[in-house]
Amino acid sequence: MYDFELARPTTLAEALEMLAEEGSDPLSGGQTLIPSLRARLAMPERLVSLMHIDELKGIEQRGDALHVKGGTTHAQLVHGAYDIFPGLASLAGRIGDPAVRTRGTIGGSVANNDPAACYPAAALATGATIHTSQREVAADDFFLGLFETALEEGEIVTGVTFPIPQASAYEKFIQPASHFALAAVFVARFDTRVGVAVTGASEDGAFRWKEAEAALTEDFSVAALEGLSLPEQGLIADVHGGADYRARMAGVMLRRAVAALA
Amino acid sequence: MEKFGKSQPVRRVEDVRFLTGKGRYVDDIVPAGALQAFFLRAPVGHGIITEMDTSMAEEAEGVALVLTADSFKAAGFVNEMDFDVIELEDGEGAAPPRPVLADGRVRFVGEPVAMIVAETLAQARDAAEMISLEVDDLPCWFGPGPGGEDIHPEAPGNLAYDWSMGDEAAVEAALAASDRVVTVELPDNRVAATPMEPRGCYVEMEGGRLHMCFNGQGVWGAKDEIAACLGMEASEIRVTNPDVGGGFGLKGATHPEQLAIAAAAKMLGRTVHWMGERTEGFLSDNGGRDLVSTATLGFDAEGRITAYKVETLSNLGAYNSNYGQFIQSELFSKVAPGTYAIDKALLKAKGYYTNSAPVDAYRGAGRPEAIFVLEHAMGHAALQLGIDPFELRRRNFIPPDSFPYTSATGVTYDVGEFAKVLSRAEEHSDVAGFEARKAESEAAGKLRGLGLCYYIESILGDKQEFATVVFGENEVELHVGTQSNGQGHETVFAKFLSDQTGIPMSRIRVVMGDSDIIEWGGGTGGSRSVTMQNTATLAAKDGIAESFGAFLAEREGVDPAEVTFDDERFRLPGSNLSPTMLEVAEMAREAGRDDLLKQTHKGSLRNMSFPNGAHVAEVEIDPETGVTKVVRYTVTDDFGVLINPMLAEGQVHGGVAQGIGQALTERVVFDEEGQLLTATFMDYALPRAEDVPMIAFHHEGTPSTFNAMGMKGCGEAGTVGALAAISNAMLGALAPLGVSDIAMPFTPERVWRAIEETRVAAA
Ligand SMILES: Cc1cc2nc3c(=O)[nH]c(=O)nc-3n(C[C@H](O)[C@H](O)[C@H](O)COP(=O)(O)OP(=O)(O)OC[C@H]3O[C@@H](n4cnc5c(N)ncnc54)[C@H](O)[C@@H]3O)c2cc1C
Repeated sequence: MYDFELARPTTLAEALEMLAEEGSDPLSGGQTLIPSLRARLAMPERLVSLMHIDELKGIEQRGDALHVKGGTTHAQLVHGAYDIFPGLASLAGRIGDPAVRTRGTIGGSVANNDPAACYPAAALATGATIHTSQREVAADDFFLGLFETALEEGEIVTGVTFPIPQASAYEKFIQPASHFALAAVFVARFDTRVGVAVTGASEDGAFRWKEAEAALTEDFSVAALEGLSLPEQGLIADVHGGADYRARMAGVMLRRAVAALA
Repeated sequence: MEKFGKSQPVRRVEDVRFLTGKGRYVDDIVPAGALQAFFLRAPVGHGIITEMDTSMAEEAEGVALVLTADSFKAAGFVNEMDFDVIELEDGEGAAPPRPVLADGRVRFVGEPVAMIVAETLAQARDAAEMISLEVDDLPCWFGPGPGGEDIHPEAPGNLAYDWSMGDEAAVEAALAASDRVVTVELPDNRVAATPMEPRGCYVEMEGGRLHMCFNGQGVWGAKDEIAACLGMEASEIRVTNPDVGGGFGLKGATHPEQLAIAAAAKMLGRTVHWMGERTEGFLSDNGGRDLVSTATLGFDAEGRITAYKVETLSNLGAYNSNYGQFIQSELFSKVAPGTYAIDKALLKAKGYYTNSAPVDAYRGAGRPEAIFVLEHAMGHAALQLGIDPFELRRRNFIPPDSFPYTSATGVTYDVGEFAKVLSRAEEHSDVAGFEARKAESEAAGKLRGLGLCYYIESILGDKQEFATVVFGENEVELHVGTQSNGQGHETVFAKFLSDQTGIPMSRIRVVMGDSDIIEWGGGTGGSRSVTMQNTATLAAKDGIAESFGAFLAEREGVDPAEVTFDDERFRLPGSNLSPTMLEVAEMAREAGRDDLLKQTHKGSLRNMSFPNGAHVAEVEIDPETGVTKVVRYTVTDDFGVLINPMLAEGQVHGGVAQGIGQALTERVVFDEEGQLLTATFMDYALPRAEDVPMIAFHHEGTPSTFNAMGMKGCGEAGTVGALAAISNAMLGALAPLGVSDIAMPFTPERVWRAIEETRVAAA
């Protein structure tokens, strides 16, 4: 770790002011950032902690949607979304381990856009809106690629609004060491449409599986997926699984998620 | 003597300390003001160092010292690590020097190249980044086997040794004359030891003497190595081991960092501290296993083994480790023919250098490897011969009436009731119910297999040990030459002394790991600790009983030959006096007989013991994903007389968990350039609690005749049995699909691919 300054603002306005200065980066739960600092892979001059800002914490139902503020931890989401959006609560409950869930936040996860992160799949499948300090961005336009998002310098994630599906399931095939997603599928079933998103598998990060969405919107059944498979191009190949394996596991996870809901 | 049979499950007294954060590990006791060390490590797997400029680093803030091979040697130190080489028929194994700090050439990623010592760790790291290091890459070689660029000029073709044992002509002839011959190639994957506490140490100068505190498996080896490296007298050196968070063989070997830290402390006259980080451990810790064996079993028409041949290629890593050359050769041979009446056996082992960290002992060291090969080959043989695996073993067991039995590899087993233990195992693991369990799994879309391993272990390590008993005013110290790495020694040794002498356990304090207090000891390793230490304690009890008896006799004016000690009290003829050992100690103190109050006695054995038993594993495989779970695990062991059944069972649980790790999840992967792709726990998968089923432990003991307690060592047995049991279970589950050559670790992708290939072939 290189030396850095740590600021602990208590209001969003204060935090944004600090982040507008050169060399400042936001720090949320630190579950991604601290390990990279320890390995000396990042060299911020100042970290602005978002963990002491009350207005960034909380979960509320807004009509047909669930709004989760950016500083909400995974553990808080497990409890807060349990009755309203159990599929999302279940997803949050399977992120990392208790220590990670107690510290890590949805804002940090969404901003980081790790190709194996869980929330992006839920956001894409439900058609969520990402709230930032400056604007609102549709999930489809927010996740741009490997660790890449629509966020500009100094802009932070303040919340995510998820339309609540009738039913949803997250089937996560875990990478055996990290327990991140090796290939995971979020299926969200709404009145008139079905959303399907895949994470862990693609070099471009989480993505919507539109062929699966179309097939399931027409007929929500495992049989409707007959013959459907994910192309291998652009999928991740590493020591835990080749691209073909990830493609196949995504298919298996999709079918299991649908079977659980059908 | 009947007290040995008490076999009480006494709870571990040290656990309160460990569980309440009162354990004292290296990092808890570093003296204030210590300098911090950081190692610059080889960034590539193989290459010539063309430039190394440390001048900027030396000038950097807070830096006290930068050491490289050149400055290390210039300071008068010997830039070479100690190791042993194997004796061969025509000479000995290769002995290329292993530097403390890389000297002109780097041979594996993570090899220490320079050490920076500074006031703070951050300063040392900053300075390390200022060292300009240029390396001209050479091609890397990962074998194991001949090929690649020579890593050492002393070892053409990268061959370190070519060792064999057995009568080749006789074995080949017997195989040729066999009814059936089964040949299988069995890789045994490399594992990282990953103890919970990484390697670390601090070294301080105490009035001209050097004190190294490190987390090891004993203090005496390091003491000699420091003396040789720094050109000091052993008497000028004190080595201590505080609480140690797991060793598994890794911490039995002195690593280069310790010698570099000792050199720095001596040069600077200040305390220097280093604690490895997890990734440093993955890169530079001695590795385990890493071999591939081809096993050939010949059978007669009745399924009896006619001859056994094993040809092994093993990876030694970039350099000889302390014992590297012995593991897949001599140690492997100790139990190579297992529990079977095999009279013709041939072992051929070749060790090769590669561009990975050195390989050394890892829980079991050679014996898990040998049993894995034999027992997995037996699993294949049962399948190929169409004989029930339990039956095939029964037909080949050494019969109980042939003991003591000298095996084909020249090892004499004292006792063995293998068929009896196997029958118990068959009951305990409910083999009869397997088909029903399998049907249940299949109804849920899963494959299920049952695997058996009948293992035998050979206890290793020094065959002598010392025990010193010090009668203080308030407590009795028991000084031991073994070293706890967390196994519960403080409990076992104190309890045993208490049982033997009547001294209340609460008054006994076990002292270990200080070369100034304890002159010599054998440390922990090879499952030797309890057998050897208790043997020494027995000798101490006898010695104390005799010398106290003589003192009493003189005092009371009776014939010393008539004074007896009955494990609690001394009895004198015609006297009401029946003092306890502590009471006699008080009398001796009052009489000024200090010579009686501190006594050292030596225990030695001519032979070690041979724990054995059956592991029965059941695996369940999800054929759609390849995910494999060990769902049932039953161990039936013969550990002779159990000293503390609870701790023995705990050792088995831990050993089996480590075996499950190697068999299912643990995998070390290097890329072509020698970079380690599994250098953190995000990529190296240790088994988690959910990966380990409840392990049923049963005991069917036949006392060893090689030690007075009748016990058999149990520290490594769990790992020895697990690999083949799980591999055979995989075979059982997958063979019906046509998969018979799948190797550990059985990761989801690997299992899925194996199943997928048969589907593609069938389509
Ligand atoms: C062992 C382990 C297992 C894990 N397993 C999983 C898993 O299974 N699934 C999963 O999804 N994740 C997993 N994670 C990641 C975890 O969810 C992290 O918490 C998350 O990715 C980052 O959130 P954080 O709050 O910790 O962010 P931090 O680490 O604090 O920050 C991450 C990055 O985002 C930036 N940032 C932080 N907050 C904001 C914000 N509000 N707006 C803009 N930028 C911001 C930071 O500057 C930094 O670049 C795991 C992590 C660990 C250590």
